[in-house]
Amino acid sequence: MQCPACQRQVRSGTQFCPGCGQNLAAPAPVVVGMAAVGDAAAVTQAVEMTITRAPRFVQHWEELKRLAWIFGLFLAISFAFGIAWRSVHSPWLDVAATAAQALVVLVAVGSRYPKLAFLFRFHPATFRDALILVAISAVFVALATWYFQLLAYFGVPIYTATALFTAADWPLWSIFLLVSLAPAVLEELAFRGVIQSSLERMLNARDAWLIQAALFSVLHLHPLIFPSHFLMGLCFGYMRRRSRSIYPGMLLHACWNALVVLQELTA
Amino acid sequence: MDRKWELDEATTVTAHFGWFGKKVIDVNGRKAYDARKYTRKREIEFAMPDGRPGLLSVNPEFIGRPTVHLRVGGNLVVETPKKAITCESCSAVAKPYDKFCGKCGKPMPTAQDYELRGNVSSATNAIKALAVLFILGGLLMFAVTKSQTDAALTRIQAMQDDATYPKQIQGRTYKVGELRKELEWEPWGVLSINLVLAAIMIGLAIWARRAPLPAVLIATATYVVLIVANGISDPRSLAQGWIIKLIVIAFLIKGIKAALALRDARA
Repeated sequence: MQCPACQRQVRSGTQFCPGCGQNLAAPAPVVVGMAAVGDAAAVTQAVEMTITRAPRFVQHWEELKRLAWIFGLFLAISFAFGIAWRSVHSPWLDVAATAAQALVVLVAVGSRYPKLAFLFRFHPATFRDALILVAISAVFVALATWYFQLLAYFGVPIYTATALFTAADWPLWSIFLLVSLAPAVLEELAFRGVIQSSLERMLNARDAWLIQAALFSVLHLHPLIFPSHFLMGLCFGYMRRRSRSIYPGMLLHACWNALVVLQELTA
Repeated sequence: MDRKWELDEATTVTAHFGWFGKKVIDVNGRKAYDARKYTRKREIEFAMPDGRPGLLSVNPEFIGRPTVHLRVGGNLVVETPKKAITCESCSAVAKPYDKFCGKCGKPMPTAQDYELRGNVSSATNAIKALAVLFILGGLLMFAVTKSQTDAALTRIQAMQDDATYPKQIQGRTYKVGELRKELEWEPWGVLSINLVLAAIMIGLAIWARRAPLPAVLIATATYVVLIVANGISDPRSLAQGWIIKLIVIAFLIKGIKAALALRDARA
């Protein structure tokens, strides 16, 4: 059996030519010189696809490398200060770590501000949107509280963020600033600002949302809090996506951190 | 190492790579090349029976077996796999040289697509291997830690809970009750951390079938973070098993690159 379009020998019983895709049940559209025309068209298409695909891959790969740099710098800061923490127990270490993170975030945001500018604007929200954001906040607080209570029930020792500051007699406002506000602002700028936006340009919105949440959770370094922080990443990421602004997520993040601080101080 | 390429119904190329650099290329059972040397850039040039130029290139990889490409007339040829090639749409068996499925007419993947998929599959296998390692490592570390903590608990058995432990541990003074609680938790903590990580890796390996890029990205980030987190708690761990760590990371990065290229090619 021979394909009428490309003249290729075709195995009997096939419905389409494996060489040119011609439907063998339908009559051949063109007979004379079709093989040459078809081949040339296929080659042209392949060349065009190679030309258009290559820069996209290169752009995306470069973008991924830039994200890896931001993530790597955050990790390097955690590592350096984690090592320093082994010998020096001072709140000033936290201040230095926050300053280093702020520098990384500011450079990352500054270098791509035109693409992120929309996140810093206030967008008018409908009553329904506002209601959804409030509902998400309530569900998040309930689930996160339940998860930490579960950890406490099983006797998992949980790191207290405020112990060092209270031991060094630092004022209350500094504890809220360093434990509640600064991480909320910096992490939202880094994860929901730079990382999620860059990933959205490369992948689809759902994948970008999941990846930023996963990166946010693993960067907290403790596997037992990965689930709770993954949930946090999902909530903040959804809020940023829904509101097209990082402020609602930032507010919820800061409130959650403040709740944790209050709970630790009152305990 | 033997490789096989079917160019069409009538032409098959096989390459045999011997232990001491011997390379034999057969075209339809007849020797087309038999020597121990390469030409430039580890390439072997030979002629096909119909006069088309054949080029076999061997590219050693940092990790894994070398990549072998056969080009005939400048076009990359799909290597004949051990398992039969099937159409993704209708599961009909196809030949490696088919450009379209003979049953449903859908385009078949190109040689480059097959290679990228192979790299993604290696990365997915690395994730699965990590899951198994976390389970086995967790069980082993649980047994070791349990015996150590049991010995330590026996030593403080006679002490009262509210008494202060005479020695400082990692720069901290403990109450005996507090220390007992931490010692009891220690082996379970190690086990649960490893099981959580194994569960994450299993989840990512399953997800990698549908969405390889996000899954491999998250697995890489998680693995790197774990190395750093272990390094913070015990800096000596950074030097332990670094060859395995490098191999796993290399497979994962290769997987990210391949998944990104595949995704861009499909877009």
